[in-house]
Amino acid sequence: MLHYAYRHLTSKLLVLFLIVIFQTPLVAQPDGAALFKANCTACHVTGEDVVVGPGLKNVHLKYKEDWLIKWIKNSQAMVKAGDAQAVKVYEQFNKVAMPAFSLSDDEVKAVIAYIKAESEAAPAAPAAGAAGAPAADAGAAAGSDNFPLILLLVTILLIALFLILNRVQKGLQRIVDQRNGVPEPVILRGKAGVKHWIREHKKLIALLLIVGFVWGSVEGWNALAGIGIQQGYAPDQPIKFSHQLHVGQNKIDCRYCHSGAEKSKNAGIPSPNVCMNCHKYVKKGPQYGTTEIAKIYEAIGWDVDKQAYTGKTKPIEWVRIHNLPDLAYFNHAQHVKVGGVECQTCHGPVETMETMSQFSPLTMGWCIQCHRDSQVKTENNGYYTELHEKMKKQYGPDVKLTVEKLGGTECARCHY
Amino acid sequence: MEKRYWKGVEELNNDPEFVRLRDNEFFEHLPLDEAIQKKADSGSSSSRRDFLKFLGFSVAAASLAACEAPVKKAIPYVVKPEEVTLGIPNYYASTYADGSDYCSILVKTREGRPIKIEGNELSSVTKGATNARVQASVLSLYDHARLQQPMANKKRSDWATVDAEIIAKLNQQIASDRKIAIVTSSLYSPSAKKAIADFVARYSTARHIVYDAVSYYGIIRGNELSFGKAVVPTYSFDKAEVIVSFGADFLQNWLSPIEFARQYGETRKLRNGRKTLSKHHQFEAMLSLSGANADQRHKIKPSQQSAVVASLYNKVAALAGGTAVNAVSTPLDKTLDAVARELVAAKGKSVVVSGSNDPNEQVLVNAINHLLGNYGATIDIDRSCNLKGSNDTAVAELMSDMSNGSLGAVIFWNCNPAYSLPDGKAFQAALSKVALKISLADREDETAQYCDYICPDHHYLESWGDAEPYKGHFSLMQPTIRPLFNTRQAAESIMKWAGATQPDYYTYIQDYWRANIYPMQTGISSFEAFWNQSLRDGVFEAAFVIGGASAFTGDVAAAASQLAKPASGIEVLTYEKAGLGNGAFANNPWLQELPDPITKICWDNYFAVLPAYAEKMGWRQGNIIEVKVGNVSVKGPVLLQPAVADETIAVALGYGRTKTGKAGNNVGFNAYPFVSLTTAGMKYYATGANVSKTVEDDYKLASTQTHHTMMGREIVKETSLAAWLKDPRAGNATELIASPYGPKTPAELDLWATEKTPGFERVNHAWGLGIDLNSCIGCGACVIACNAENNVPVVGKDEIGRAREMHWIRIDRYYTSDTTKHNAADKGLGKLDMYAEMEVPAAENPQVMFQPVMCQHCNHAPCETVCPVAATTHSSDGLNMMAYNRCVGTRYCANNCPYKVRRYNWFKYSDNEQFPYNMNDSLGKMVLNPDVTVRSRGVMEKCSMCIQRIQYGRLEAKKEGRRPKDGEIKTACAQGCPTNAIVFGDFNDPNSEISTLFKDERSYHLLAEINTKPSVFYQTKVWNRAEESAAKHHA
Repeated sequence: MLHYAYRHLTSKLLVLFLIVIFQTPLVAQPDGAALFKANCTACHVTGEDVVVGPGLKNVHLKYKEDWLIKWIKNSQAMVKAGDAQAVKVYEQFNKVAMPAFSLSDDEVKAVIAYIKAESEAAPAAPAAGAAGAPAADAGAAAGSDNFPLILLLVTILLIALFLILNRVQKGLQRIVDQRNGVPEPVILRGKAGVKHWIREHKKLIALLLIVGFVWGSVEGWNALAGIGIQQGYAPDQPIKFSHQLHVGQNKIDCRYCHSGAEKSKNAGIPSPNVCMNCHKYVKKGPQYGTTEIAKIYEAIGWDVDKQAYTGKTKPIEWVRIHNLPDLAYFNHAQHVKVGGVECQTCHGPVETMETMSQFSPLTMGWCIQCHRDSQVKTENNGYYTELHEKMKKQYGPDVKLTVEKLGGTECARCHY
Repeated sequence: MEKRYWKGVEELNNDPEFVRLRDNEFFEHLPLDEAIQKKADSGSSSSRRDFLKFLGFSVAAASLAACEAPVKKAIPYVVKPEEVTLGIPNYYASTYADGSDYCSILVKTREGRPIKIEGNELSSVTKGATNARVQASVLSLYDHARLQQPMANKKRSDWATVDAEIIAKLNQQIASDRKIAIVTSSLYSPSAKKAIADFVARYSTARHIVYDAVSYYGIIRGNELSFGKAVVPTYSFDKAEVIVSFGADFLQNWLSPIEFARQYGETRKLRNGRKTLSKHHQFEAMLSLSGANADQRHKIKPSQQSAVVASLYNKVAALAGGTAVNAVSTPLDKTLDAVARELVAAKGKSVVVSGSNDPNEQVLVNAINHLLGNYGATIDIDRSCNLKGSNDTAVAELMSDMSNGSLGAVIFWNCNPAYSLPDGKAFQAALSKVALKISLADREDETAQYCDYICPDHHYLESWGDAEPYKGHFSLMQPTIRPLFNTRQAAESIMKWAGATQPDYYTYIQDYWRANIYPMQTGISSFEAFWNQSLRDGVFEAAFVIGGASAFTGDVAAAASQLAKPASGIEVLTYEKAGLGNGAFANNPWLQELPDPITKICWDNYFAVLPAYAEKMGWRQGNIIEVKVGNVSVKGPVLLQPAVADETIAVALGYGRTKTGKAGNNVGFNAYPFVSLTTAGMKYYATGANVSKTVEDDYKLASTQTHHTMMGREIVKETSLAAWLKDPRAGNATELIASPYGPKTPAELDLWATEKTPGFERVNHAWGLGIDLNSCIGCGACVIACNAENNVPVVGKDEIGRAREMHWIRIDRYYTSDTTKHNAADKGLGKLDMYAEMEVPAAENPQVMFQPVMCQHCNHAPCETVCPVAATTHSSDGLNMMAYNRCVGTRYCANNCPYKVRRYNWFKYSDNEQFPYNMNDSLGKMVLNPDVTVRSRGVMEKCSMCIQRIQYGRLEAKKEGRRPKDGEIKTACAQGCPTNAIVFGDFNDPNSEISTLFKDERSYHLLAEINTKPSVFYQTKVWNRAEESAAKHHA
């Protein structure tokens, strides 16, 4: 009986497994969750709270699907047309117009389905560290490259295999020898045995020593060269600010917050008053709810209940990620404004980073390499016009005007 | 302005542990010494092994420690002020007006922190000029010796308590009908004067007394006697063709030195087709900066000066039609004849000034100017100069009021009489009889220490204020940082005690301007707009025409009869130096370390005497002598100074402070006791001195230049105006080098690739500096400007004594020698003797030449070829670069540098208690320029041609899509120069000022014969003096 039940269970699990395996690629439906994140989170949550617009919990129960589709696609047209329900919603939420979304019916349905699923799900605690890489320790900013470890494991396995096979082979040999009547060799044990073995295997030992020395040197060199390089450094920040949400989903331009990037050497960390431009209205985030946004309010001294500044401020102590040494001069404006370099070139796919991390090594070699390869953006910049002509005359019309050619690798461009 | 960056909360709280860790990177003490010691004591033989173990451990520990990068915090503003962009400086127009100097300035701030002072070119008075004291004033803001709150009876107090007590006590004085005095230095702020007037109105027995450490009462009184107007007139040196000065060091200290230096510089330029120079005669005892720049300098003893002035008056009168006066004959009669002829020939285009504080001598000087028709031309008595207003008779009266007990209360503002009055002890005794003593000093100075209340003043960079340096010329002062401490500006204290209704001094000034100054113009229709524009420009000039033509009514004969007669015996002359001036900034280490332009000595004052006279008296440099005048006796070291008058000892004021702060206390000795307060006013020299050599050990003076002549080499090239007019290359012959192909110029024998060699062209920019030796007056403003801009450390007297000063720019001062290569044979000197003799400055009255030397940015740099690690290399725009982090400190470069401009960091000068100056002080560090690395121990450094300014200016141009405009980028030295002697620019721009200047025939490279091809060039010095004297030197 038990045996039967067990077998039954196995087959059930097998079916489930197959479903899980094959379902995903088979169903080609719009992803409601992703659409919601991309389009709605700036103003709505799936819970009950009002952010800018109302909380959308059980919205599928309150309104008919057709109405919802029409509303989402163009709410203002409905209001203008005098749809009673539309006007009511519009007026209920302070006449803040909801923008029109060019989504297909299926997509809207998917979003509603997502909201439905979220509404029905038990109110789960915000999943800590739901997305993105787990934060590494603040101080140790080592690279996450596991290759040497794997190599080591494989090596150990191979050696073990080799030893086992060797032993088996020796055992078999002994049996064969016994059968053939070959006398057993004298086996030296202890120190003498080791000495004997060493004498017999001089070449192997020499080889091992050389390989070991080279391997150690390479590893040592790499370890020393890596000191101070913080590539991948992603410390915990006092506020769990998500670039993925702000840049990736909400498409906020980098320079809205980092406004110094076009003007100054410092791109600048935005002061909380910049956060307040949006977060005066956006009171709840999709992931951490109000906890993280409350930290902005605390820093700038914003009383949520009274909707007024208290005057009590507490500066936010961000952990600095990109630590260029003091002896190196770097200017954002030169690169962003004059050079037209994309932020992502150095900072990586920030729009996908839940926790901000250092993308580039920020070593001098890395700087220099780029200065050697990159061409100066001479178009529409009066500074370079004449210079470019001069260079063309000197080096021919196809001259590649790299940064290096204009002295971009000279010491005193960055060190003084 | 609320912006601050901390590395962490620990730093914010100044946690002692944090401070300890910050100061000591490797704080874990390894018990190395103890371990070795213990083993050695126990006689064990394994100590060496243990040492190696420890060594191994420490290396491992250090490398392990290095693996963990420290966590750095970045704390943004909570609400970022709109005008602040991180990394971009803001400039605010303001005013420097401290009673000694007046200057309209721009304050450079970074993230709300003032870090540099620059001249304001919108001012018609100073026109962008500065001097060393103005440049250094920013450091005084970050001075830990400043009081941090009001003090009542030596105890910390608060403003409400102090105000209440002071007002109650002032009222008590009124009730008992005792006098109240407000003693200030010269004050020309209209609103502060109004505050004082309010105060006097409220307290009926109060009066305002102006007391300056260095008084100009003689001029004011002299003008009262001459014109019936107790004012200082406006002088226009730029309009003068002949300048005659009797002991007035108008380029460095006299009256309005910044303005005068700028004006004087204009008369010494041979640019843009100008082919004339002013002719400058200086009669003086101590070699002053003005004397050093004079075309002809005449030595006189201080007591002879009045007689010489009278004699000149007679000679001018004889030529220009005036009545002669009785005058003692002087040995200079022949010279004076010539001077008088020159003056009369330049009628209405000359100016005669005297530095004497004797009203009678000033009357004679006025009479000379009157005879020459200079009033209304180069001197304007109707446009009064308000910069000086001290009243010596009122000071004498104050002293007697204090001693006889009729003075009930005294307030000291920006003056320090306990230090700067001739008899400080008598003053202290008299002061003790005053019931209420209040000081508004920023620190507990020599006077404030005896006061009941100290109400510390803001630094001027924290203050609102205004100034009216000249009648109708207004200037505004605005705060550029929030007050660092719980201080209050002095004018606000006075205003509060006077019972003003305004909440603060800012409102008070605005009210004053709205009522009094706004109506002086008609162009702007709202006060707000007028105020904002005046504040932005820093200056406002009233549109009204200054009327009146005062007639000269002075009694010359009476004045002449009262002149001081030449005395015999040893005389002591007091003077002010370029750095410390009257001593108010003694705690400013930049100024202490500024080499005196003439003596090149830092951190000391001394008795300067003529070498020949010293020899006669048996004194050597550094001997301690005791100088007695009356009952005053002062000991100090001897300095052998060429060109001092015979039987004269010159000594600088401003030293010997005892209560100014760590850097300035007990530096040098106080020379104010040699000043005397006579019935006619302060007298700044003393006659009949007794001098004796003491048996004390010799004193070491720290000098930055120990060679005083050029020894026949053409380092500063010079010529006379007449010779230059004949041949623009006069004095600037090209050096030719003998070669197998005949004599060639160094450039023709080039071994290296030049900028014309393919691959070495200066395609983009070719930066350079041009220095006009004719308009450089050697004042040292550039040195301090460079200090501030480039985070140059202060090293202190001992290190200067070891020739380890860190200044990136120095001003070489050369004397001529009596012996030249040309006259050596006549003198019968052999080669060796000739060079030995050429090392000695001329015995009588040597000519002086100044030459600022910074890194020459050689395009064939000798330093670059010898660096083993390529730490110093050349840039494609002509700069010699220095990568500190690459430098390993071999010092080969410094040894191979023919100009000796490289400086080696023998120590870590920051965070090192051995050097207790601004870089070792949490507050003092705020002045550091964040764009320039603070160098560490063991690396070489030198002038970078302000590369951070070049980078900034270039990027601004790039951001706007254009080429940098000529003059847009300026190095700190060029910016600070009061005479525009230093010009920065791009040689690649054919229309730039520097390109034009370089084409001039006067241009030359320093040590051109070694063909280093510098990016810095100089222009020949042209003297306006009789041809033969220059010819004698050059033949």
